[in-house]
Parts: sequence; C-alpha cells; structure tokens
Amino acid sequence: MKIKDIMIRDVTSALATCKLVDLIGILSRHKITGLPVVNNNQEIVGFISLHDIIRATLPNYLGIINSDSILSEFIQLSKSLKEYSQHPVEEFMRKNIVTIDEDDNEVLAADLLIRNKIQRLPVLRDGKLVGTVTLTDICRVLMKNNENKKS
Amino acid sequence: MIGTVTLNPAIDVVLEVGNLKINYYNKVLKAHTTSGGKGINVSKAVRGCGRETIAIGFLGGGRGRMIEEELREMGITTNFWHIEEKTRSNTIISDKETGQHTLLSETGPKITEYDLEMLKSIFYRVMSQCIVVTLSGSLPRGVPVNIYGDLISIAKERGVKTILNTSGEQFIKGLEKKPFLAKPDLRESNQIFGIKIDKEKDAIKAAKEVVQRGAEIGVVSLQQKKDIIATRDEIWFAETDYHEIVNLIGAGDALIAGFAIALTEEGKNLKEAIKFSMACALASALREEEEFSSREEVNKCLQCVNIKRL
Repeated sequence: MKIKDIMIRDVTSALATCKLVDLIGILSRHKITGLPVVNNNQEIVGFISLHDIIRATLPNYLGIINSDSILSEFIQLSKSLKEYSQHPVEEFMRKNIVTIDEDDNEVLAADLLIRNKIQRLPVLRDGKLVGTVTLTDICRVLMKNNENKKS
Repeated sequence: MIGTVTLNPAIDVVLEVGNLKINYYNKVLKAHTTSGGKGINVSKAVRGCGRETIAIGFLGGGRGRMIEEELREMGITTNFWHIEEKTRSNTIISDKETGQHTLLSETGPKITEYDLEMLKSIFYRVMSQCIVVTLSGSLPRGVPVNIYGDLISIAKERGVKTILNTSGEQFIKGLEKKPFLAKPDLRESNQIFGIKIDKEKDAIKAAKEVVQRGAEIGVVSLQQKKDIIATRDEIWFAETDYHEIVNLIGAGDALIAGFAIALTEEGKNLKEAIKFSMACALASALREEEEFSSREEVNKCLQCVNIKRL
C-alpha cells in the first residue's frame, strides 16, 4: 500500500520565521503537538514539537524529569517561555529530520516511525510537503485490511 | 493541483420535522450535517472527478475541525488557518408535511488583520503546488473587499491561473486585478454592473463587460439553467437538454470545478472546456446529495450539453 493512500492530507505547517508564540497558537487551535517547518515553496526544512521547545528553553530539562520538586522548575519554565515567545521557530526546530515519499509503502513508514521514536512523519512529493503519516494511521489501515480479508 | 479558497465556510445542518410548530416542542425526524461554502464545494467536485485539490481558508473551533476531517476523508488536502472564533452554521428546517424550508443563517466569525496576514502567507506557499486556484464565495466580517484582488495578484506572481466567483463589490474589486476567468454569483441579487440579468441579451452584455474589465473569460448564468461565455472575440451559449434536475445547489460550484479541471488539462480548447464544465454542473444537479463521485458520471452528461457559438 502506498503512503499517499493512508496519509492525512493536511499540510498545515509553519515558516522558520514564525514566532514561538504564534506557533503555540497554531498547535493549540489544531490540537496537535508538532508541525513540519517549510520554506515559501512548501519544501520541508525542519520539524518543531512542543518537546523541542521545552528542551531548548529549559537547560536542565533532563534533571527536571527526575526531580521531586516540580513547582520551582515550573516557574523557571514559564519564565523562559515568556522570554522566548518572540523568538523564531528556526532556533528550536530539528533540522535533521526523517521524511517519507508519498510513493513509499507503509512498512518503511512504520520502520522509520518506530526506529526514530517519532509521532508524525512528513510525507513529500518532489521535496514538497503533501501530508503526514502517523503510526495510528498505519495501524488503522492494517487492521481494516485484515478485517476485509477475513470477511 | 487545483487550489480553492473559502473565506466563509459553514456547517449546514438540515433538520427534518413533521409539522413545525412555532413556540412549541418539535421532534426532529432526521438530522444531517455537511460542510459547506462555495470553495469547499468546488474542491468536492474536483475530487469527485478524481483530481487532486487543496482547500484553504478560515476555520474555527470544533466545527472547523469537523469540516477539515470530512474533507480529508474525501481525499481533499487541507491547509486552513484556524481562527479564534467558531465557524458559522446554517440550519435548514425542512418540514415534511408542508414542504416548507426555513433557513437560519449565522453571521460569520470575525477575522482579524493577523488572520488575514497568515492566510496570505499560506496562500503564497500553497500556490507553489497549484496550476489553477478558484476564489469563491462571500466574505466574513473583518475582511476587506479587495481581498480577492490581493490573492489574484499573489497567484499571478507565482504563475497560477485564477478563477473568481463571487458577488457584489468584492467581485468588481477582484476583476481589477484581471483574473483568468470570472463569473458573478447572481444568487442573492440578479444584477451586476447595474445590468439586470433577465434575458439572453442582458447576460451577453454582462459577460462582455466581465471581459472588458479584465478577465480573459467571462461567464454569466441565465436563470440558473443556461450560461453565456465570452472572450475577447467569441461568445458561446451553453445549455443542457436534460429535465430531471433534482438539486441546483452546488451546480454553479461544479461548473467552476469543471473550468478549473479543464484549465489544468493541456490541449483542451474553449469549446471542450465549456462542454466539460456544463457536464460537471449537470452531473451535480442530477444528484440529491451535493457531490458526484466519478468522472464517468460527468462523461455521461457530456451528450446532454448543447453549445453554440453566437
């Protein structure tokens, strides 16, 4: 099965110049946690997720996860988030990203998602963003196919 | 790819009732919800013909996400800008006994300057993937009448052909930026440029005026059944000889979809483009639901289209 037949056909994305505060607005209105970053020709240049932002704005991120006192760290987080709100996405996004072509298949997509421990995989055609695929989509399609075979 | 812009989408809620009593308890027999808005309808028709399309515009709240999901499930790509306020809904109360339809239409949400700026940015990016873009429908609050003109200029800069299909002041303003094809929406008022479209000669005059004001092709509908198509040196008359029309809602949008598809298919001349578009409109009008779902349905309608050059 080709990725173009199972992907979510949404190309909501952000420009690298998008301010962090605006990005958070997009994420919350779409109810998602990450977005592909594109240039003005819809060519993918990176990926930004809430985790990337938290990791970058909280220098001792790993320490916090293992810490007992959440409160003081939370104050630190809210302070730095405010400070960074006007910074561009470019400073926080991941630039080495994994993508997949729309003509590739679901096995490769599942492999990339699991191996790289990521939630969403941007789908490209000639380097331009045409959709996203998630593990949920792949599972949904695979289960449906099995049901069809049974019946 | 064929792009469509819907600035003021809506959710259409159709409620079927037995005998509507005002100021009383009424039971709904059947409820049916679909996404609406002229640009969205164009995308649905384009997809119905098996072609790729991307829909952009403004959506808001849960209703907005619902529309997006419905479109994606049909295979339409989405790239909407989500606004603070909610997408409007139109409620249609359809009375089974009396045959009356009552439409309750909400005013659209308020669009801010920031929203507009973001939409233009998305539009610029999406145009890098499109060959044709259609700009259709009314404007929500807060959107200036020159918006379609601005979008036409951006599309031209990126080498994308534009189709304008709206009414009133925003149509006239948009024409100034010279879209490739333009068709006034005459559903609310039967007038354009001060010409009342009653007879064939009025429609011809209006279509010529559309071309004179900047479009390469002007299309004007006459009583929702016939169409006049004008270019700089040709005038065409098109109608269908089919009489079992069930549903005219959305037929105009299917016509626009037909032209958009024809413009992306190399080697189609004007005559073939008109024929194909009329067949799309007819295929849509023959269905109870708004969209047709295959190119075969359109091809079957081709033989019911009569066109002649005047």
